[in-house]
Amino acid sequence: MSAVSENPLVPMQRRRPLQPVDVVQRTIGYVLLVLLVLFCLVPFAWVLLSAVDQNAGATVQWPTWSFDNFTRFFAAPGTPMLVINSLVVAIGSTVLNLALGVAGGYALSRFDFRGRRFFMFSILLIRVVPAPATIVALYLIMVNLQLTNTLHGLILVQAVGGLPVTLWLMKGTVDAIPLELEEAAWVDGSTRLQAIRRVVLPLIGPGLGAAAMLQFMGSWGDFLTPLVMLQSQELYPLAIGLFRAFSERDHVDWGLLAASAIVYVLPPAILYIFVRKHLLRSSLGGALKG
Amino acid sequence: MTTIVDLPAAAQDATRQPARRRRRVRSTWPIVAVLLGPSAILISLFIVLPAVYGLWLSLTNTQLTGFAARDPKFVGLDNYVYLLTSSDFLASLGQTGTFLLFSAIIGQTVLGMVAAILLSRPWVRGKGVFGAAILMPMVVPEVVASLAWASVLATSPEGTLNRLTSLFGAEPTSWLQTVPMVAIILVNVWRGLAFAMIMFQAALEDVPVELIEAARVDGASATQVFRHVTLPLIRGPVFLYLLLTTISTVGVFGLVYFLTRGGPGGQTRLAAIYIYERALQFSQIGIGSAASIILLVIVLVLGVVYVRLAKVKV
Repeated sequence: MSAVSENPLVPMQRRRPLQPVDVVQRTIGYVLLVLLVLFCLVPFAWVLLSAVDQNAGATVQWPTWSFDNFTRFFAAPGTPMLVINSLVVAIGSTVLNLALGVAGGYALSRFDFRGRRFFMFSILLIRVVPAPATIVALYLIMVNLQLTNTLHGLILVQAVGGLPVTLWLMKGTVDAIPLELEEAAWVDGSTRLQAIRRVVLPLIGPGLGAAAMLQFMGSWGDFLTPLVMLQSQELYPLAIGLFRAFSERDHVDWGLLAASAIVYVLPPAILYIFVRKHLLRSSLGGALKG
Repeated sequence: MTTIVDLPAAAQDATRQPARRRRRVRSTWPIVAVLLGPSAILISLFIVLPAVYGLWLSLTNTQLTGFAARDPKFVGLDNYVYLLTSSDFLASLGQTGTFLLFSAIIGQTVLGMVAAILLSRPWVRGKGVFGAAILMPMVVPEVVASLAWASVLATSPEGTLNRLTSLFGAEPTSWLQTVPMVAIILVNVWRGLAFAMIMFQAALEDVPVELIEAARVDGASATQVFRHVTLPLIRGPVFLYLLLTTISTVGVFGLVYFLTRGGPGGQTRLAAIYIYERALQFSQIGIGSAASIILLVIVLVLGVVYVRLAKVKV
């Protein structure tokens, strides 16, 4: 993000005193940045304040501090189920997506077979199709497979939906691991699969983390697919639960809604922080030195 | 890569001509089928088949319920004729175009560029904090984004936007009723601005500093440098961004549906919402599918135009 600050010409500029023009320029720059940041953050004020407000309403107000909303969220009969459904779907689709993606990505990276380039290009092209454009036919296919209104159907659709991206990511990740490392394992008597497990899997951590985060956040935040695929209230994930709660026009429980939104935002936020830290630590560097 | 030299002689024999086979081993179909087969089958079934099946459905009068549900008939291009003469659908396409032009192509691009340029200035302190704050709208799920904006756009005088405008003496407005399109454009600019910023930051970092310095030494103003040096150099990434944001903006559904449900009076019924209503609420699968295909064709045409304009080889 800040690679520009490394450029060697900067110190020379700093040495001469600031001209009035520079001061004006910098002031305008900071004002613009602060305005942008306010634009980005102010809309969240209602969610944050209302979640801890005993008498929350539809608009921003100074809260009567209490964690009552969260207590009610976890004590209410329907709402904890939303979290569980969301977790089941997001974790399920991420695991399935990664299993398929690692195996496929390894094949795409290590084997030269006919149609490989065609396949890679085709799944890249799939990215061009906006989701609403295929949801209708997908729904009918799911009806025929009797997979609508089931969590495993939703898991399957979301896992496959993110598969093109995961395949590309994992192909690139495996590409970066020298084949020599695997060959060394073969020489030491490992079979191909053992070599994958002992050599390749430990080294694809960063790529795997990135793919997992993308897939989890995509599945966790998905609104259209569960809206179309699920009809039973007991299967709803948080996205649909929040939408339904918000749609009860006249008797919306604003405090509970804001608390649900906070619960909904937390897992991707935690994952983001966690994976980001891990992404920085590349384990590949040391592997080739010995 | 140098490790190969240190391998024992036996290893050299075992791997035969490692240089040539370094990246890929000769094809062995069974193992490829086992590793890649499941992915290929599932992608065909859940991504490729819906597109093909959608094309077929768009030529039939398939319904979810009722008489036509049992016995769908081939109706040729009837659905397309219906849609292209339907003022509702044409209005919906027009709204999608307006939404795309003002929120993605103008709003996100300009604000994203401003943010990227400001954060690339060497004198800016706290880049991490500013960057993280601007990323927030993109990281949260879209339902939460909509919910947050519901309070900003609220009708009552306590709505955040109404409080802001009242500082300038304006009367409270019910934003989602009086100017619904402007409201959802604003929301989408907010949501997508961070992605534009990330794309442009990466592009700006690749512009050689020497070129900019040289232009400055020759007396060019900052605006001239941007217009004649920076912009031509980041042309490729800018059009790639426009392609990506066009695809995702045409695909925007939840963000708008949550706030307006396409209303009031169909004023924010974007094509995605039109498709959802027709196919899944009025159960007219045939018409919904035809609308999907039309939308898909428009996105593909726009994609080709961008690639041409970008003058980059793909």
